[in-house]
Amino acid sequence: MIAWAIARQTVNEALRRRIMWVFLISGVALIFLMPLFGYLTAPKDSQTVLRALGLAAILLAGLFITIVTCIYLIPVEIERRTIYTVLSKPVQRYEFVLGKFLGGFITVAINILFMGVLFIFMLYLQSLKVGLDRGFFACITSGTFAPEMIRGIFMTFFQMLLLAALTIFFSTFTTPIVNFFLSFGIFMVGNLSSVTDSLTTNSNWLVRGTGTVIHYLLPNFGNFNIQNALIHPVAEISNPNEYMRNNIVYALIYSAVLLILAIIVFDRREV
Amino acid sequence: MAAAIEIQGLTKEYIDIWRKQRVEAVKNLNLTVEEGEIFGFLGRNGAGKTTTIKMLLGLLFPTAGDATILGKPMGDNSVKSQVSYLPEETYFYDSMTAWDLLDFYARLFKIPGGERERRIRISLEKVRLQPEAWKRNIRGYSKGMRQRTGIAQALINDPKLLFLDEPTSGLDPIAHAELRDIVASLRGEGKTVFLSSHQLADVELICTRVAIIHNGKLLVSGTIKELTAGDVTEITVQGEKLTNGVLPKLEAIAPVVRQGNGTLQLRANETEKITAIIDTVRGAKGEVLSIVPHRRTLEEVFVETVQKEEGV
Repeated sequence: MIAWAIARQTVNEALRRRIMWVFLISGVALIFLMPLFGYLTAPKDSQTVLRALGLAAILLAGLFITIVTCIYLIPVEIERRTIYTVLSKPVQRYEFVLGKFLGGFITVAINILFMGVLFIFMLYLQSLKVGLDRGFFACITSGTFAPEMIRGIFMTFFQMLLLAALTIFFSTFTTPIVNFFLSFGIFMVGNLSSVTDSLTTNSNWLVRGTGTVIHYLLPNFGNFNIQNALIHPVAEISNPNEYMRNNIVYALIYSAVLLILAIIVFDRREV
Repeated sequence: MAAAIEIQGLTKEYIDIWRKQRVEAVKNLNLTVEEGEIFGFLGRNGAGKTTTIKMLLGLLFPTAGDATILGKPMGDNSVKSQVSYLPEETYFYDSMTAWDLLDFYARLFKIPGGERERRIRISLEKVRLQPEAWKRNIRGYSKGMRQRTGIAQALINDPKLLFLDEPTSGLDPIAHAELRDIVASLRGEGKTVFLSSHQLADVELICTRVAIIHNGKLLVSGTIKELTAGDVTEITVQGEKLTNGVLPKLEAIAPVVRQGNGTLQLRANETEKITAIIDTVRGAKGEVLSIVPHRRTLEEVFVETVQKEEGV
């Protein structure tokens, strides 16, 4: 209940931050501009471009929203000294960290949900068969939904969950600026999981060792990028349900471990 | 009477990352605050007052020593429901209203819905925050309104023990007097107040006991009456020659506390000394302007104690 009260307050504060709105508006603008890019490509590729662009817009906006929202959640409380009035109340430090994480992630989830719904709606609009000979109702019901795109949005959602946990972990002991570069850097390296995976079988022991450490220690953000499989039918995943389930479980376990580490660090921190 | 706070050998040492520089913010502090009293905790800036409070609340970890709060170990979460804290320089979530802020803090105490609303109303009324400001963003509040909100959040759980760090600093005279009276009224409700303040006149007026801390070391503690005991007589004399040849003679009798425009002000306790001063002044053809009994103030006690420690 206490963690939930902190989470609610965190969402209220986070949704008022202008920088978050800048990234949300940028993402929304890109999704709105999708049809324009669609018209600029060959008709047979237009759906592919639209889908790739929409998912990329959600991923990019989600990435920056997650980082700029979560890096400040704990340091700002310490800097503004609002943490004194919170931790002097019967609030356990783990409840504070969990509340901040939940609040940060709910904010990110609201943003992803909003962009996701807009993206699916835009795809639907794009698929409408408009003709003068057809009635209005026939026109607006002539489109097709793209339910497979929900999978892509869902994976982005869990990718951001993992990133939020990572950012919260760093925020318990680093400054926001260091946290930004650390989280962003690890996200980038983690997205190259196919590359780091190949390094684990390298013949050079040093490269193999480094690759193994990076591949297994850093979160594999790349596993959540299923855009290719969704957009290009040739790049199909053999068992998409199992693939998604495994990666969701991976995100949940990895996030839980990061949060436990964040709680351990924060429990020993003086404020 | 039971002890609300019992501090034993509390020490806080800050060591830099290279372990080369050590700063002892609080040194072996021993202190007892009884239940139901308003206890003044005095000291210069950086004396260790806030560090002590933060250790008692579990925000900082002591290097050595121990303390109990309402019979439980300091930092114990179970005791925090009976304790509240108003930090120095109160910062709040500016985008919230006073009502929402208090609602948030009340939720942290797990106060249920209906009761929460009642407590918020009582707290805001008690600190005399105008009702039209209750649902306005704190961002637009004056310093006085913020401070009232700060005290209201400290009252939301109807605490037994309040830690108030500079509750009246930077306020206009009316707000200052009102908030001082609010703090004073808490004693009548049986609450214990641990008050850290630089407003020595306020402390003298509302506190039952005080402690003076300097460079982390407890210098004195006791009731106001004990600390300000030893009334003195202040003698103001005037004369052209007084500042020349007679001054050493007068200084040998009693300390000169003020000097200027051909006048001297001396302090003496014993009748013999007063008579000797009068005789010396008359002998030098000087004039005795006034002989006034003077009661020591807490401010004088504080300045004397701290200056003595600093070797001034």
